[in-house]
Amino acid sequence: MKRKQLLLAILLAITSAPAVASESAPSATESMAVMAHSGHDHAAMMGMGKPTSWTTYPTLKVKSSGESRERMVSTVVPQNIVAANVDAYSNNLKDENAHRQLPLEMAGAKLDKPATGGFQMLTAREEVGEAVRVASTVYYFGERGAKNPTAMLMQQKNELEIIPQPYPREHSRYRANEEWKFLVRFNGQPLANQKLAFESQNGSQSEWVTDAQGVATVRIPDDFNQDGAQKPAGGHDHGMRRGADFVLVTELADSGKTYLTAFNASYGADAFDQRNLAMGLGFTLLGMVSALPLLRQRKQAEKKAAEVDAGKTEKDEV
Amino acid sequence: MLKKLFPTLGRFRFTVQIIMLFVTVYGGALLGTYTVDRISQALPSLSCAFDKQTGDHCILIVNQHQLHHRVGEALAKAQEVTLKVFIPTLMSVGVFFMFFFFLNKAFCGWVCPLGTVQELLNKIGRRLKRPLHQFTPGNVGRVRPVKWLMLLVLVLGLPLLAGMGVASNELGDPFCQVCPSRLATTLLTADTEQIALRTGTGINMFLGALGNAMFGFIIIAALAVRQPFCRICPLLSWNALFQRLSPMRLVKVESHEKCEKCGVCEKACPMDIHEIGTEFGKKAFHEDCTLCGRCAEYCPDDGVIQIKFFGIKLFGSSREYYKNRVKQESPEGMPKKRVIKIAVAMPDVNNG
Repeated sequence: MKRKQLLLAILLAITSAPAVASESAPSATESMAVMAHSGHDHAAMMGMGKPTSWTTYPTLKVKSSGESRERMVSTVVPQNIVAANVDAYSNNLKDENAHRQLPLEMAGAKLDKPATGGFQMLTAREEVGEAVRVASTVYYFGERGAKNPTAMLMQQKNELEIIPQPYPREHSRYRANEEWKFLVRFNGQPLANQKLAFESQNGSQSEWVTDAQGVATVRIPDDFNQDGAQKPAGGHDHGMRRGADFVLVTELADSGKTYLTAFNASYGADAFDQRNLAMGLGFTLLGMVSALPLLRQRKQAEKKAAEVDAGKTEKDEV
Repeated sequence: MLKKLFPTLGRFRFTVQIIMLFVTVYGGALLGTYTVDRISQALPSLSCAFDKQTGDHCILIVNQHQLHHRVGEALAKAQEVTLKVFIPTLMSVGVFFMFFFFLNKAFCGWVCPLGTVQELLNKIGRRLKRPLHQFTPGNVGRVRPVKWLMLLVLVLGLPLLAGMGVASNELGDPFCQVCPSRLATTLLTADTEQIALRTGTGINMFLGALGNAMFGFIIIAALAVRQPFCRICPLLSWNALFQRLSPMRLVKVESHEKCEKCGVCEKACPMDIHEIGTEFGKKAFHEDCTLCGRCAEYCPDDGVIQIKFFGIKLFGSSREYYKNRVKQESPEGMPKKRVIKIAVAMPDVNNG
């Protein structure tokens, strides 16, 4: 497998030789970044790592269209990474599809919905010489009774990992101005004081550091334009809320090897984007005021209440 | 032991309601982030998906999304409407029915968080001696069709039309946008996002304003009217569609030989179902019944009203029980002052 990846990387390096010739050991990130600016995208043609314009870090983009309206099939597109396949981990660890290697085709890797559905962890790996690069993301297939994905997320998949703690459940998502936790591990052990770089599709960049337990608390930036020019988030937002992508990256050198792992996901605008709390409270108060006449004690009602209180309606009490 | 803890059916139901309020409002926080994915996602009560800590959510949001995104879109594209399209919808209904089969409409009377909140507010209203407005048979007859209208228009019609492209995309989940449970449950988790009015489009704003105003009206009205929203809730009509398919039933005797038509059960009914006092047999188990069991608790005649599961009596009216019950609370829900003294002196009221 490693040999195959190496061959693919060499092939890519040859196709982009003029641009990277000055580098003694070009990383695939650099290769992809260069290709992103060329008009002839060999990697994309091979379905092995389409460049993105907003980041040079490796990401996995899951696309749904056509038949996938039934959410049975999706396409995973590796970006800025040269991988032979995409690894899909199912939330049901005992299932025969607990770990699948999805072959890459022109458009990307086809991700079928496993019988168990629910959350899927997706990773793509690239090894060039002593450099190991990993892209990872989480995808959700709507499924009633899907297993809790915590064990699957915690399962070791690569040397250096970024694990969401937790990943947003269905009907929830990462949103601007929210804080979310991510565990960083190396060979299964939490990494304290490890730096994480954050980049968003809207141009934000920041850096975060893990605590003693290897957990970084990342604040999602509120970087959407006020004019609402960004794309709608889609999904259950009915096209009314905005969304963008982000990537978290960490790097480590160990035993002569360098590791770079990225975790990407989408995030939405602030919870109060296109919302007005004052108006909401105003209409609620209006409703409350309109019900106030019901609370007025009328003479007749008073009399009836007194009768009830005295227990006159209970025929057999005495 | 159990009798000491739960001397009345009312106390037992109240305990279940409080537990279910925590499960439906805070269940995710208590049992884990992903609990909602594991239980049913098709609960027959207004447990809200917009509550980020909910333990499970109601079937109505699922119905709206499926009609909008699957059925409606498939019809619009004139594609072959295959089992692939309808299976998810049928699955949701199937899972819903698996739950419903065992409890029938007790989901409304025992599990629904909005039902519990309204009931708690009415208890406060009784303590504050606010007037109790009960619906006359004429008034209740005018209100009853509204729940069917809510189901047909907001849960089924508009999402389907939105999916077909006939109605605006923002009308994909119109009931959720006006549902007071969305506001009640999220506010209970200190989340103010949902009460903030959506201002993205005119439709968003109109539905949001309507929902907020209705929520405000209901929380004040509940102090003086029992279960004000339940009367027009589309889940009440949805559940009514399956009411006769569950072995959990409210059963009243077939003739009036035992029933004296005293009308106390009508006064006890939080839904003002007059038929429980005037009708017999199957007709007494009305579509508005939430199986709260108050009519059986307040029926002074032995065995006239019963709650049965597969024909086995779970609870039945009795004169002795009635005598003790009215010492604690009037049929209309007015607490008796002397009950407090009795409770202090004699915790087990059943045994005198």
